[in-house]
Amino acid sequence: MEIDKEKCVGCGNCHVVCTMGVISLGDDGRSVVNQDECVECGTCHRVLVNEGYRPWFVRAVRKVLGVLKLGYLADADLCPTGALTPPDLTMPRLLRAQFSNPTVVHPGTGVPGRGTDEIKSNDVTGRLRSGEAGLVVEVGRPGTGAWFRDVEKVAMALAPLRPHFEELNPVTLLMTDTRTGRMRPDIMNEKVLSAIIEFKTELDKVPAFLAVLEEVQKQIDTVLSVGVASRCPADGTIPHEAVVAGAGYKLSPNGKTNLGLGRPLFREAAS
Amino acid sequence: MTNTLHRQGLVEDLRRDYTIFVHTAKGINREGSAEKIREFMRICLKHRPVNMGDVKLGSMHQDDLKMDELIAKQGDGTVGAAVFTDLESLGRVLEDLIRADLGLCVNISGLMDEVRECCRKAGISRHSAEHSLGIWGAKDRLPEREILEFNTMCGHGMVSFGLIRRMIEQVRLRRLTPKRAARMMAKCCMCGAFNPVRAEALLQKMLTEGWLHAPKR
Repeated sequence: MEIDKEKCVGCGNCHVVCTMGVISLGDDGRSVVNQDECVECGTCHRVLVNEGYRPWFVRAVRKVLGVLKLGYLADADLCPTGALTPPDLTMPRLLRAQFSNPTVVHPGTGVPGRGTDEIKSNDVTGRLRSGEAGLVVEVGRPGTGAWFRDVEKVAMALAPLRPHFEELNPVTLLMTDTRTGRMRPDIMNEKVLSAIIEFKTELDKVPAFLAVLEEVQKQIDTVLSVGVASRCPADGTIPHEAVVAGAGYKLSPNGKTNLGLGRPLFREAAS
Repeated sequence: MTNTLHRQGLVEDLRRDYTIFVHTAKGINREGSAEKIREFMRICLKHRPVNMGDVKLGSMHQDDLKMDELIAKQGDGTVGAAVFTDLESLGRVLEDLIRADLGLCVNISGLMDEVRECCRKAGISRHSAEHSLGIWGAKDRLPEREILEFNTMCGHGMVSFGLIRRMIEQVRLRRLTPKRAARMMAKCCMCGAFNPVRAEALLQKMLTEGWLHAPKR
């Protein structure tokens, strides 16, 4: 994101809504975006309503209020002068928006945002079948962001266990070699709100992958949100529960359930 | 994405937080799905969700978006979502969806046991399930648990830690009501998965019980 210095009056509202907390006030009293850390999520531009005031007018009012030692508390979702300016992004910086701005449709998956199907369409795709588990490792979530060099570190740690990286996943599409988890070298210094490493494996191998994550989490300066999924048998039990609990991990009481209402329903026996 | 998977909070708060959403698969049930997604949205709307939307157009809490316009603009493959705060409404939505037989992939995020019971009452068995294994890594970079409870209600991460902190402060100084502060947060979440009623209740609790009130887990 860029801020038009001619228009900015330094009200600070964009600092508050910034998902990465990387907008601050410069020496000139105008807001400035740390371009290295900005993930191009577009939240500031989307959420702050442009009030359309002339910058000289707002500055004059603020000056008068300052002289009188009076403050005015504006709503947090306003930009008095419309100073926020979304830039035209090109690769590799465009990746920041593709992974961080949920309104941008990812060209590789055809859906908005950085994710893929997980179990969401498993009833019709049969992506996860009996005896398999899906794992998602969302690097940078919640709220800390991730550099692709961190994402690569996690992917490369997992790769020796031979995961089946989901083909239509935005992270997998950036790998130069899915056997090693290595990613494109030109993107290492791009930062995103989060990036999801998604793969499947045999159910009994889940503890081994979690053990790897235990180690690699110590080597990165960001957070990971981890999820595990499986296809339920007819009685509705969840196969991964026993495996994960047996390995000493605690599952959340809440989660996601695919209801099996999609049609045509995928039938394993016919595959 | 894992948008609604990692919602944090105490079980009693999660009991008021259920997100139902549709998904489609390319080459299977995505093509020609627009009208079915509109019908999904109409069914959800009938049962009074506290939030609803789709990530491309925004949610019902955006200033300039009308619900009929949101529904009319649904295209093939849109990921429509609605949030409910009670199992009775969710159950009625589920019954209507089963009756409508739209053929879309329908998912619910919420307490697993409650959702399973909801499925059982509707006469279906869940197809697949996904759990969160929580947050790993540099957890020292995270803010207080209470802030995460708000932040994780928007899985896309659009409700910043800074805004949440500001809203808590404004409520405690009585400059904003919990309702208005919750709506301000909901505005940031494009896909409509944020639960403003739960946010309002959390803010109300902070107003009466103080900041950092949550019992240790």
